[in-house]
Parts: sequence; structure tokens; C-alpha cells
Amino acid sequence: MGELALRKPSGTLVALVAHTLRLQLKSALIWGGVLGAYAAAMVASYLSFGDPQQMEQIMAAYPPELLEAFGITDMSTIEGYLAGQVFNLAPLALAFFPILALSAAIAGSEERGTIDVLLGNPVPRWQLVVGSFVATAVSLLLIVFIMGAMMYGTAVLADTELGFVASVEGVLNLWPISLFFGGLALLCSAVFHRRALAIAVPGLVLLAMYLADTLGRVSEDLEVYRDFSVFYYYAPEGSAITDGIDWASFFGITGLAILFALFAVLVFRRRDIYT
Amino acid sequence: MCAVIYTEDLTKTYGKARGIRDVNLTVEEGEVFGFLGPNGAGKTTAIRVLMNFLRPTSGRAEVFGRDTVKHSVEIRSAVGNLPGEFALEDKMTGERLLKFFARLRGVKDLGYARELAGRLGADLTRPMRRLSRGNKQKIGLIQAMFHRPPLLILDEPTGGLDPLVQEEFLRIIGEVRGEGRTVFFSSHVLSEVERVCDRVGIIREGELVDVEPTDNLVNKSFRHVRLVFEKPVDPGPFRALNGVENLCAEGPELRFTLYDDLDRMVKLAAQHRLVNMEYERPSLEEIFLTYYGASEEEDRDG
Repeated sequence: MGELALRKPSGTLVALVAHTLRLQLKSALIWGGVLGAYAAAMVASYLSFGDPQQMEQIMAAYPPELLEAFGITDMSTIEGYLAGQVFNLAPLALAFFPILALSAAIAGSEERGTIDVLLGNPVPRWQLVVGSFVATAVSLLLIVFIMGAMMYGTAVLADTELGFVASVEGVLNLWPISLFFGGLALLCSAVFHRRALAIAVPGLVLLAMYLADTLGRVSEDLEVYRDFSVFYYYAPEGSAITDGIDWASFFGITGLAILFALFAVLVFRRRDIYT
Repeated sequence: MCAVIYTEDLTKTYGKARGIRDVNLTVEEGEVFGFLGPNGAGKTTAIRVLMNFLRPTSGRAEVFGRDTVKHSVEIRSAVGNLPGEFALEDKMTGERLLKFFARLRGVKDLGYARELAGRLGADLTRPMRRLSRGNKQKIGLIQAMFHRPPLLILDEPTGGLDPLVQEEFLRIIGEVRGEGRTVFFSSHVLSEVERVCDRVGIIREGELVDVEPTDNLVNKSFRHVRLVFEKPVDPGPFRALNGVENLCAEGPELRFTLYDDLDRMVKLAAQHRLVNMEYERPSLEEIFLTYYGASEEEDRDG
């Protein structure tokens, strides 16, 4: 038996990513469809106002601080309207897709009891973490693609001048901020053995960061706290759909998400698995 | 023969809670080893340490001569494992799940998996959420065995299976032994251990208290005997038999525990008109209590 050749099989990471993608596909389609329907409805609602001047009059009726708080700066264009109505709020919802998916990757699998069977196979623990992260990142791309396609498609059907590149940049900019909270959920999933905690912690951080950014916009006293919010870096100058993607922030936020995943690998490699 | 599983002073504790303590165990190549103990004795903890799901608190464990912590992935490539408490992805069918595991293991042919499914009566076409506990257990067994690993580590493999399927499973284990492969399985059912195991290890309160050939364990176990005669008989000669204890006489019925001398007991009973005779093996729990069941109080006193 001493001569028994033990080997590490190859291609397990690709198999894990494909497996996780297959499990996530249905929910990704639903998330993309729901967010896309909302974005399409906002495009349709903009058209119902008809005259851009009418929109300016509506804006003038609101306190500027309120408009600032919700990232509404210009409603005379459809991009400006979508920036305030869709892209300011979308991360709050979309971030919960990776939070739910990646909290299930470790702690959720322990609670369900599926992790023992999976790790009974010759799969390194780091691949379980990285495979889940990569698959969720790809599913997120699918969601923002569906969302963008439905939003832009509605504008094209309605013969509205919504820029294609602006649409792509608007939806693509949702990806890193959502993945950031997913990465945090993955880290919590590796640290805690309870999925509820792996959802609650990033959920609370999401809410706190959103409030810090929103309040920091309207109060000079609170502005300093915006620096600690990922929402500030998500839209540092304006919205990506109106001003384009800030690539430094885009890659910075993505880097933090990857860092969370790497910490998750380090934690999960050394800890016991409970089912 | 070489040691397929080797542990040295293997200990795993969970805070103040008991796990396993100083387990020294060797399982040889080609043998079927039964790991016996009552619920909570530490069987599952020991298996989970071997699989590197839990890290040892102290001591060490080797499988195929490799350290279970440092070479876990290589070890798992040669091990088929059925966990004690497990679940399978609800949305997936058995077929899809096995294809996934085959891909992880680089197995191209699912022919043996389908053969096992046929023999165990497993339905590979239905999603897991629609399968009963027993049918999920069958899929669990197939995923552990379909790649013909040199070592099978099975935690309570017959739990939830109906008697006919249990029978077929034990036949498969016999075939695995016939191929020279090694099986390490935990159980608390003496009859199945007696059927297939070459040796047994007894674990109690986290400590390995005995390792011996299965025959020794079975032979030293006692039997519960109930004799019903046509009319009351004198219990004295029965009570005087070597190995008879706890004799209770009620009318024409005698009940006692027999440790020895079956032949003389039968011959004595045959001197009367016998209406009914029951000869029942004890449960594993009773054997534990009798041979390994020193209470914690006694331990402390000792």
C-alpha cells in the first residue's frame, strides 16, 4: 500500500465554478429579471413626463439637500433620471444576491450538511472558497447584463436617446460594490459557523455605509464619514451612467472584495468544519 | 500487510466537551474494520479527524502513510467517504450529482455507479428533495463507492436502509474485501459487524477500549434465553448450569441470561416437553454495558 500513487486531480476548480454557476443560474435570472423590470419601468416612467422642462420644474419643487442625498442632480436627461431613480438605490438590493450566495458557501453548507460530502472529494478547501467567489462574480455579471439589456431595450423600443455606453457603464459599475459585500459575507461565512451571522454582518455594514454616504452628502459635519463608505467610491463625482466609470474606484473596490475572499481562504483553511 | 490507517495518541477535544482521547489504532490493508460504540462515543469525531474535517488537538493520524492534515487532498483522492450526518443538494438529481463528483475525481465511466444504483435500488433521476432518508442514504453510499477507492470510510452506512438493501450493501462490502480493498466503518449494529468485519475497535467515552477479532467479541457475548415448557419445571438444574445468570421462573416459563454452555442447557431443556424456545443475541449497547460499561462513577472510584 505504501506504493499507492496518491495524486491531486486537476480541473477541480473549473468543475466547482461550473457546478456553483449551475446552482445559481435560476436565481440569477430571477434577480436580473426583477431588477431589469424595475429599470425598464423607470425608463417608461421618464417617458411619461414627456417634456424635460416639466421634469426640471418638479426638481425645483424639492429641497436641494434632499435631491443631493439621493444623488439626483439632473433630471433633464434620461441618464440623470436613471442615476437617481435606479443606480443610486440598486446596490442596496443587488448586494444581497452575493451576500446570500456567499454566506451559503461555507456556513450555509455546514448548516445544511452538504459540505462533508463535497469535501469528501479531493477538493482543496481554498478551491471551495475561490470557486464560490468566482461563480458568484460571474452570476453577478449575468444579473447586471440582464438588467442593462432590459433597461436599454426598453429605451430603444420607446425610441429614447439613452446612450449605449452610458447604460453599460451604469450597470457595470454595480458589479464591484455588490461583490464587495459578497466578499465580506464570504469572510463572515468562513469565520462564523452560522449563516445568519454571515448575512447580518454585511447587511448591517451595507446599511451603515449607505447612511454614512447619504448623510455625508447633506451635512458638512458628517461629510468626513463618507470616506469610510464604499458608496462614496461607487459614485465619487457623479453616477457612472452620467459621468462614466471611475476606474480607480472600480478596481479599488474589486480589489477589496478579492482581499475579503483571500482572508476567507486563510481562515477556512485552518478551521474545523461542523455539520 | 501495511497500515492503511494509523493513529497515534490521537486526541480531539471541543473546549470542555468530550471528543476522542489518545486513540491508538491501526487498520491493515485489505481488512474490514468495524468501529463500534454507542451514540456519542466518539466514532464520528474520529472519522472526521481522519477526513481532516476536524484538526487533531494532539497526536497524529496517517492514511496510506500520509499525514491527514498535510496531505488531506491526496488522501481523499483514494478514499470513499460516507459522512454520518449529511445532505445532498436539493435541486440536483443523483445522476447529475454523481457526474459532478466523477468530474472532481477525474472518473470518466459511471458504469459502476449505475450498477450500484441498480443493486441498491437507488433512483438517480429524481431530485434529492423528493427522496426519502433511505434513498438519500443509497445515493450517499454510491458516491462513496462508485470510483472504487482503495479505502472506504463509512459512518453508520446502513442507517435508514431497509433490511433487503442492508443485505445487498453487506454483500457489496464483502466484494470490496474480496478485491483487496480496505473498509473502515462505524456501526452500533452487532449483527452487521459480525457479518462482514474482520476486526472491531470498541470506543467508549472517547477512548478506544479494545481492538480484537470480530469472532472474539461475538463469542464472548451472552444470549437471552426464554424457554416455555408444557408444564412448570424445576428451575434448580438450570440455575446450576455453568454460565446461567438472572434466572426467572414464572409458571411453565424460564428466562435467564446464558454466558456459556449452550450444549448442556439444550440437553437439559430437551428432557422436558418444550413448547417454545427463544434465543436472542443482546444489543450492542448491552454488550458494552456488560464488558466495557464501567460507569464514570466507577472510573472515578478506580
